[in-house]
Amino acid sequence: MTPNVLLFAETPAGIDWLSPGVLLAAAVTSLAVSLWLLLPKAGRSGPWSRRMGGLLGLLALGLFIVTGQRLGNLGEEAVLLTVSLVAVVSAAATITCRSPVYAAIWFALCLAGVAGVLLVLGAQFLGVATIVVYAGAILVMFLFVLMLAQPSGLTTSDRITNEPLLSAVAGAVLLGLLSLSIGRLSAEEAACCRLPSKAAALSGAAATPTPATAEGFDLLAADQVARLGGELFGRHLVAVEAVGVLLLVALIGAIAIVSHGLEGDQAETSSLQEGRST
Amino acid sequence: MMTPALIAAAALPLLQNGLVVGAILFSLGLVGILTRRNLIVMFLSAELMLQGISVSLVAWSRYHGDFGGQVLVIFVLSVAACEAAVALVFVLQAFTRTGRLDAAAWQSLREDNLDRTVDREIPALDASSPTFPRLTQAGNLPETDEQAALQRDHV
Repeated sequence: MTPNVLLFAETPAGIDWLSPGVLLAAAVTSLAVSLWLLLPKAGRSGPWSRRMGGLLGLLALGLFIVTGQRLGNLGEEAVLLTVSLVAVVSAAATITCRSPVYAAIWFALCLAGVAGVLLVLGAQFLGVATIVVYAGAILVMFLFVLMLAQPSGLTTSDRITNEPLLSAVAGAVLLGLLSLSIGRLSAEEAACCRLPSKAAALSGAAATPTPATAEGFDLLAADQVARLGGELFGRHLVAVEAVGVLLLVALIGAIAIVSHGLEGDQAETSSLQEGRST
Repeated sequence: MMTPALIAAAALPLLQNGLVVGAILFSLGLVGILTRRNLIVMFLSAELMLQGISVSLVAWSRYHGDFGGQVLVIFVLSVAACEAAVALVFVLQAFTRTGRLDAAAWQSLREDNLDRTVDREIPALDASSPTFPRLTQAGNLPETDEQAALQRDHV
């Protein structure tokens, strides 16, 4: 899934035009065109162009998968591929769907995929918490959409978008640059900012850039959630308290905005009525 | 049983795959928040970007064998909950004031040197808009009170 891009590396003879750089450029281009075709816009945006956009998007995904790094573990790879495909495809559907109701449903599916990715990456608590927290939040959001959506079909602003071409190109180029730098990431660079472990620091040995060996086992241990809780309420206790205060402030602020807005509306209407009566 | 050497060899590709999934989610959310005009869909796009960041942080956490990334994602979730509360209140207020969920309804707040957004070309409703199944009639049509139907408020 990661383009293993070495733009200036020697390419094997015979297929030198099929270098990873070319593949990445093709993926970025097809992604940009696909997003532009899929986004709701004026003009020729019939079902044909949407089908074409979907095909180009699948082509871009396939290119990303083909040029990717292999994990070496077939089962893990298949699971990661499946859940990331669910997440990515439903994320694309979230932003290209015309109806906000469908967008909310696609976003819920995207959250399920993201939770799967988090589980594969070894974050058990976060995978479950994403489902639990966001399922509640999305349910509320969905009710909002249902409450606010006009019954007479889609409004104009749902059928039209601001600058679809420029935005699609900007997003695709950003993704291309990000995956270029991710593909060039080497083990030494990735481990550069890692704090030396306590034992290594005590023994004075140089920190070797071998990631996730012994500590990686600790991260995936059976008591992982308990250790995460220990870390959260031990080292980051002050931040937890601050976030608790922030939640309280947001709650009070939301209530204050609602009640103040209602009072303001009443004041406006009453002053208008007074103006009319005088 | 995987040896530590095997795990170390698979760690970098796993990190890169996680980072690419996060980057894709972030880019799609960016495109969504730039183009879409419905306030709620813009909000969903912002949440999509936050999800991309969360995936990247967890991938780094797995790579370094450190809980710092996961703890940061927990804080991201909390702040996203606060943001959802306040943002939905704003969306509700905006809707009650203008009657629309369109971001362009608030373009009187734009800078002086910016042009006004005008929808020159409005796409027609799709011919392929969802057609709902028609149920077979299961009885006679009841008599309706036309006066009451006229007085009923819009939904």
